[in-house]
Amino acid sequence: MAKSVKSPKMNLIRSVFGHLNAIIEVTKEVVMPSTITIHYPRERRKLPDNFRGLILFDKNACINCFRCSHICPANAIQMYIRENKYYPGIDYTKCILCHFCVDSCPTSALKPSKIHDVVFKSLDNMVVKPEDMINEPKVLREDYITVEYDFDEDLIMRRSKVKEKLVVEIDKPVRPDFVAGAANPENCIACRFCVNSCPQNAISFKLEDQQTMVFSIDIDKCTGCLICIRKCPTETLKAFRRDKIELEGNYERR
Amino acid sequence: MRGDKQIVVLDPKKYKYNWKVERPERVERSKYFGNLKTVVIDSGICSHCGTCAICPVKGIIVEDKPVDFPNWKRLCIDCGACIRVCPRYTYTPISGIGDYIEVFAGKSKRFVGQDGAMVSEFMASALEMGVIDVALFVSRDDEFRPYVVHVKYKEQLKDTRITGTKYSFAPVMPELYEIARYVDGIGIIGTPCMVSGVRKLQKEIPFYEKIKFTIGLFCTENFYYWQLKEFLAEKGGDLTKATKTDIKKGEFIIDYADGSSFRISVKELEEIVPSGCKVCQDFSAIEADVSIGSVGSKDGFSSVIIRSKIGKEVYDYMNEKGYIETDEVKMSVIQRLCEYKVKIHPYPRY
Ligand SMILES: Cc1cc2nc3c(=O)[nH]c(=O)nc-3n(C[C@H](O)[C@H](O)[C@H](O)COP(=O)(O)OP(=O)(O)OC[C@H]3O[C@@H](n4cnc5c(N)ncnc54)[C@H](O)[C@@H]3O)c2cc1C
Repeated sequence: MAKSVKSPKMNLIRSVFGHLNAIIEVTKEVVMPSTITIHYPRERRKLPDNFRGLILFDKNACINCFRCSHICPANAIQMYIRENKYYPGIDYTKCILCHFCVDSCPTSALKPSKIHDVVFKSLDNMVVKPEDMINEPKVLREDYITVEYDFDEDLIMRRSKVKEKLVVEIDKPVRPDFVAGAANPENCIACRFCVNSCPQNAISFKLEDQQTMVFSIDIDKCTGCLICIRKCPTETLKAFRRDKIELEGNYERR
Repeated sequence: MRGDKQIVVLDPKKYKYNWKVERPERVERSKYFGNLKTVVIDSGICSHCGTCAICPVKGIIVEDKPVDFPNWKRLCIDCGACIRVCPRYTYTPISGIGDYIEVFAGKSKRFVGQDGAMVSEFMASALEMGVIDVALFVSRDDEFRPYVVHVKYKEQLKDTRITGTKYSFAPVMPELYEIARYVDGIGIIGTPCMVSGVRKLQKEIPFYEKIKFTIGLFCTENFYYWQLKEFLAEKGGDLTKATKTDIKKGEFIIDYADGSSFRISVKELEEIVPSGCKVCQDFSAIEADVSIGSVGSKDGFSSVIIRSKIGKEVYDYMNEKGYIETDEVKMSVIQRLCEYKVKIHPYPRY
């Protein structure tokens, strides 16, 4: 059913008030605009501490466990040999900044940062080597105001005259400290995959005589990367909690 | 022990920080595969069971030709695992019917197989009971070439390519090593030599106790696929077009799709019997949990020898569910074949 709409009757009072209202609104916007634009680069938005930006690397904390490169869904992490050990490097042409690597790192050797405005000079430069991930890159900063959005009710923007730190130390997640132990030595087939795969050279073997091989795990050297466990074809090795071992420990230290 | 690091035992059941591995003794000064080659392969007693495919560097190749490790002088890592698990490295033949709990002839009501499809029925029931998670079966391609399949659901056994006998070596053991780390209970079907391999493996490396259920097939001899195919082609048979192969009453029979069949006396096949089979005296798979074959029962039934507790449990389950029909079995026939195998396969040979 069609419905006819009549145009409103002209009314002098109504139109005067209408115009006045419009003028007030416009003046308000001129004096104090209600946009939510951040004037980057003079202003920066405040980001959470674990923001998924450029990834930094602490070489001393790294235990060469390959977990980051295994978990990377974009296959962006390659392990590079440095001083006979493997360290991760990130290919930013592939990286999707999901930070699975950061989350999977058992020792927090990979660290998040709030640096998101990065320019690479060439595609080759986007393949970042481990040594280039250690230091915070130089960021030319023109900002002097940090803007924080407050979403609680209506959107409010809080501007403060502070320069935000782009790399923040965040607490390391609590993770159990594992060591590898030979849970089922009777399964060992003497393949030495564990010996060869250990990045810390914590597993070694000696020939006692022609037939007998004696293997040993140096628990102090073991960082709990558990590569040996992944490599062992017969489940000889298992992960134990380091603290549990101390508790039960009636073993002699060297 | 000696040295600065003692054998330290935290909890003997749980973990040790030093552990010892005894590798086997050598008969000659070469890497372990060289020893295996001399003692087992080159001397012609290798049964082609494939247990040596445990090789951690995957160098030992168990395919449709004698077992080999190309370039072993360089690539063998000298761990000795192949020799530890080889059932023929120190070989004393076993023969006879062996110990058993129960013997009967059976026929499956659910599956169609070579004879009574009891092999398929046992594995299907073991899967149903949850004794095993996966069973390794030997299927065949369009040219009757055997290959290994993983059976997880009993419905898979409706495929008549998976059931039925293939008279060729099948790479069951290499496949076992591929999956062993990822499953808990494994069922294996094999010829007596493979069953012996499994038992030796389990004795040496308890990790493989995961093989919870082993079915052994009665066997006098097995063949290399290419050799059997070429030999039969020479005699006018075509293995590649077969729908079923069988050995009955001294004849090797190929059934074709059109209902016709080709027959040849087993005696003629003698010349292509691999040398490893000619020293084997185990007809009834003595070391299996359950041994199954065709002799001793009437057509359409399989003779079943139950040897272990687990075999008995599966049998009781099948009976309870009414999955099988049973019949009498003639032990004397099986006995005769056991003796016959010892007679035709003397060891030591000379
Ligand atoms: C090489 C060989 C020689 C045999 N010789 C004799 C004999 O001399 N006398 C006798 O009584 N019985 C012999 N058998 C056993 C017989 O042929 C049947 O396999 C047995 O009766 C089981 O029949 P079924 O209907 O119960 O098995 P089915 O339910 O048909 O299942 C048989 C299963 O055996 C497995 N299988 C088939 N071929 C092979 C293979 N090459 N290697 C490993 N597994 C395999 C398959 O997984 C198949 O599912 C032999 C079997 C083989 C493989």
